[in-house]
Amino acid sequence: MEPLLEVEGVSKSFPGVRALSDMRLDLRHGEVLALVGENGAGKSTLMKLLSGIHSADAGRFRLEGRPLEVTGPAEALELGISIIHQEFNLMPHLTVAQNIFIGREPRRWRLLLDERALNAKAAELIERLGLPLDPGAVVGDLTVANQQMVEIAKALSYDAKVLIMDEPTAALNDVEVATLHELIRRFVGTGMGVIYISHRMEEIKAIADRVTVIRDGEYAGTLDSHATTTREIISLMVGRTIAGDARPEGVRDDRPVLLEVRGLSTKSLLKDVSFDLRQGEILGFAGLMGAGRTEVARALVGADRSDGGTVTLRGTPVRIGNPADAVRHGIGYLSEDRKRFGLLLDQSVKANISLASLRERFATAGFVRDKAARARAGEYVGTLRIKTPTLEQQAKNLSGGNQQKVVVAKWLVKDCDVLIFDEPTRGIDVGAKEEIYQLLNELAGQGKSIIMISSELPEILRMSHRVVVMSEGRVTRVLESDEATQESIMHFATLRPDENPEDAAELGIDAGPAGSASPEQARKAGRS
Amino acid sequence: MTLLEAPARESTGGGLASAARNRLQQLLAFASLIVICGFFSVASRYFFTYGNFTAILFSTVVIGTLAIGTTFVIISGGIDLSIGTGMALCAVMSGVFLVDLGLPLALGVPAAILFGGLIGLVNGINVSVFKIPPFIATLAMMLVAGGLALVLSDSAPIYFTDVEGYVELSTGSLLPGVEFPNAVLVLLGAALVAGVLLTKTVLGRYTYSMGSNEEATALSGINVRKWKIAIYAFAGLFIGLAGVMISARLGSAQPATGMGYELQAIAAVVIGGTSLSGGKGSIVGTLIGALIISVLNNGLQIMSIPQEWQNVILGCVILVAVYADMLRKKET
Amino acid sequence: MKARKIGAALAGAAVALTLAACGSGDASGSGGGEEPYIAIVSKGFQHQFWQAVKKGAEQEAQKRGARITFVGPATEQEVEEQMNMLTNALAKQPDAIGFAALDSRAAAPLLNQAQSSDIPVIAFDSGVESDIPATTVATDNKAAAAEAAKQLSERLGGEGKVALVVHDQTSLSGTDRRDGFVEWMKENAPGITVLDPQYGGGDQLESTNITKSILSANPDLDGIYASNEGSAIGVIKGVQEAGRDDVTIVGFDSGTAQIEAIKDGRMAGAVTQNPIGMGEQLVDAALKALDGQQLPKAIDTSFYWYDKDNIDDPKIREVLYE
Repeated sequence: MEPLLEVEGVSKSFPGVRALSDMRLDLRHGEVLALVGENGAGKSTLMKLLSGIHSADAGRFRLEGRPLEVTGPAEALELGISIIHQEFNLMPHLTVAQNIFIGREPRRWRLLLDERALNAKAAELIERLGLPLDPGAVVGDLTVANQQMVEIAKALSYDAKVLIMDEPTAALNDVEVATLHELIRRFVGTGMGVIYISHRMEEIKAIADRVTVIRDGEYAGTLDSHATTTREIISLMVGRTIAGDARPEGVRDDRPVLLEVRGLSTKSLLKDVSFDLRQGEILGFAGLMGAGRTEVARALVGADRSDGGTVTLRGTPVRIGNPADAVRHGIGYLSEDRKRFGLLLDQSVKANISLASLRERFATAGFVRDKAARARAGEYVGTLRIKTPTLEQQAKNLSGGNQQKVVVAKWLVKDCDVLIFDEPTRGIDVGAKEEIYQLLNELAGQGKSIIMISSELPEILRMSHRVVVMSEGRVTRVLESDEATQESIMHFATLRPDENPEDAAELGIDAGPAGSASPEQARKAGRS
Repeated sequence: MTLLEAPARESTGGGLASAARNRLQQLLAFASLIVICGFFSVASRYFFTYGNFTAILFSTVVIGTLAIGTTFVIISGGIDLSIGTGMALCAVMSGVFLVDLGLPLALGVPAAILFGGLIGLVNGINVSVFKIPPFIATLAMMLVAGGLALVLSDSAPIYFTDVEGYVELSTGSLLPGVEFPNAVLVLLGAALVAGVLLTKTVLGRYTYSMGSNEEATALSGINVRKWKIAIYAFAGLFIGLAGVMISARLGSAQPATGMGYELQAIAAVVIGGTSLSGGKGSIVGTLIGALIISVLNNGLQIMSIPQEWQNVILGCVILVAVYADMLRKKET
Repeated sequence: MKARKIGAALAGAAVALTLAACGSGDASGSGGGEEPYIAIVSKGFQHQFWQAVKKGAEQEAQKRGARITFVGPATEQEVEEQMNMLTNALAKQPDAIGFAALDSRAAAPLLNQAQSSDIPVIAFDSGVESDIPATTVATDNKAAAAEAAKQLSERLGGEGKVALVVHDQTSLSGTDRRDGFVEWMKENAPGITVLDPQYGGGDQLESTNITKSILSANPDLDGIYASNEGSAIGVIKGVQEAGRDDVTIVGFDSGTAQIEAIKDGRMAGAVTQNPIGMGEQLVDAALKALDGQQLPKAIDTSFYWYDKDNIDDPKIREVLYE
């Protein structure tokens, strides 16, 4: 029998980035196909091609054997491809029924809405799907799980043949996940197909029939999910050949501790996060999207409110209430979104470098001493090898790598001893990445202590003296450089102690009715 | 009927709860209107009279009409600053049609109202096609309309003295036997039409939908660009209507008037519980908001409160109204 | 949560009522009794000129044992707002109404209403095209503007180029003060070229900018006429900023800044109305009308030319406001 949806040889490039290359996939009638891959492997690009937001450079799509060409979201829906995005696409102020049938309201005399028919239609659909929803409820008042249900009802109301769900369980608890899975099984029974994108291995094993792995924008393989182990899936996900075999430089375990974080918690995510940062080391932070890495950085520099926890700097406890406090203590945070939070794009290189220390270093009685600022900026342009024609060049005209260096220079001028890099090489092309790595190594060599948050495992392995692995707001393990491998990091990054008693037991966390941990299943991959 | 079935389902009953909450908020606004009226009735013996109530309703007509139109724009997530001077321009156009060109009433008045729609259409195109932020696009239109009103009228008021029946549109009394100005009937009629359009038609549904989540609306296959233009153009009709009503009341088109009306109209909309960030609001609320402003103006003047204090009190009322709205939002 | 909401509403109401209460203290306190009540609806409220009228009216009312209220719209363009104010004033059933119409025809129905409830109406500042007002207390703006033209022409020796910075092109006071000046020049000073009038809305900054552009376009300009207080201050500033000291400026109304400028010679002089006197005569006329006395059709509150020489004259002193 021919597959429901076929994707063959699809490629897509964005300026400077090859997002997909020769990707393929086939979805059968009545199956749930899990699509897995690391952050940035190309899953969302593939989705956007299927929903008509972007169009492919090469390759072909076939739906039920017929060539498929999608030009926009509305057309995708009409053809029977519905997508539930990770960010909900709902109108919070409208009711459930109004959301489900937005754009397709039953009307009288063309213009007048027939609210009764709308509610009846919605009630009928909800009934058919067996969802716990009230058509008249305002969506903004519903729980996230029920909003998810609304999205599903909306997607299915288009008589979808293919339903794509992007991390549908990211915000759900165990009971809600079970309800969702039951629902998926029910409608898959009618012959439609589901592409289920997720990071959660045990979920994939529970719901999916097959798993297609995508790696670096390329097809890596398709496995039968029941016959394969989680380990096999993970190794297929990360099993790329790393360019070169560079390893962290200057790894020593006798470095004095500079910064001590204990029990850092936030209302929304972080639970009891503790770690040490040593003088002159690069401490990697690894974890999946939403694990809480950026949140740790933001709570640490006071950009977000923390509920509890202590920070000790050089042996003295410090209170950091806002980013200004952090800077005063010599902690600089380099955001992953340089263009929004790190740079004044329309200002010159000089202005950017001197910005943070303008008042203390480059001003007398409020007047900017331009000469001093210029001299200092020139110095850093030299030492950091920032490629810019002049100091007056606008920051937006520099390449990504050089922009990153400008941000680094800004914090160096400020005399920061602790630098927190959030995704330091995001949006930077391959050649320049190496330059940034070299810079990080040099900075560490000069005694700066560096926290490097990264979603790229090779980058973590290449740079980190030690790796803090996080999952669901917790630190699940701190790995020494020699015990850190792609597999071990992935293992600890996918532990879910709150939902899974075995995981809780492995981490020594008392998670409710955990007592029945089955050690024969313990995945020891990380303890090599 | 589905409403009755709802609780039977294994649901949270959220529909009933939120419907009740919305109703409660409108009740609350209405209750504060009653409280304010009650206070003035006790404070001044001149307040609680039939004549004064019709005077209050009469003085609400222009701001109320503008506010009703702009409610659509604000619910859709936009803003319209051009309604004040736009109204003056429509009043002048009414003069041009009826006095200078001598068109009959039945032609000139609709033409003036449609001219308002044209102003709205241009705003809509600027916002939706050229992607100019609504604040800027309508600010520019505010200046353009204000200037054009002066140009087209030669900077002098146009009098409707010779236009039979024009002034009666506003000040006449169609209802037999009672002194009740037609202008108030026009306002109520406009509110009724707007209310039906907002709650019962596709235009209204998409207005809420865009204000609630524009991107999601677009992803649901709705032509957001087209509907946004429609909303601004539709709101423009109310600019035209307000222009007709103010010039009919005054018997003249005052070209230099109108500046500041937009802010009062927006204040009425906000007091009425419409969120400036879009997605939420109602015509009834706007009407109540406009009435609260008129009642305060009227009552404070009748109590002979010095004029300096009147604005202070009005400002405080707006703050309280918006703050109460924010408290309400925090609950959900 | 609900309690909080109601609390917020109550707090708001409390604020409003407290303010209302302190605001009303003086008005209702002295109210109560049998003294006649005159509701005055003016053209403006914030400007020094209207404040001076208000002061004159209050003084006279106190002296004669009457009670007044004085309201006016924020700008002279808000005709509708003035109608609402007049409506509200009528609702209070005053003994008499003082009214300065922004657009006299718009007010006709309300004036009829006053007449049918036997409330005498005294027009002030500018006439009302109606025979309902018992009398009109006003200055002849056109004649006053002609006086300014005459004085300027004399100082320039009947020759040169002059410009006008006028506060408004739609209101009667604006057009009268413009036309009175232009017409006098046309008839009596053939040697003087009058440029097209420019309008600054009575706003000081706006008028300053206008003045500077007039000066750069006409380096040979000899004189400028400013049609009210705000325009005059703007013109003085504009000439100063342009670095010119050979431009003769004549103005209108008074106010601290204008008086200073005349004293130190930056300005040649100005015509002034007598706003305090206008307020006094307004109340006087209203009380007379209540007594049933016959009033003349018009009461002229006259105008005065003042300059460096007569500015300390007690008679002039009396009519200037600071």
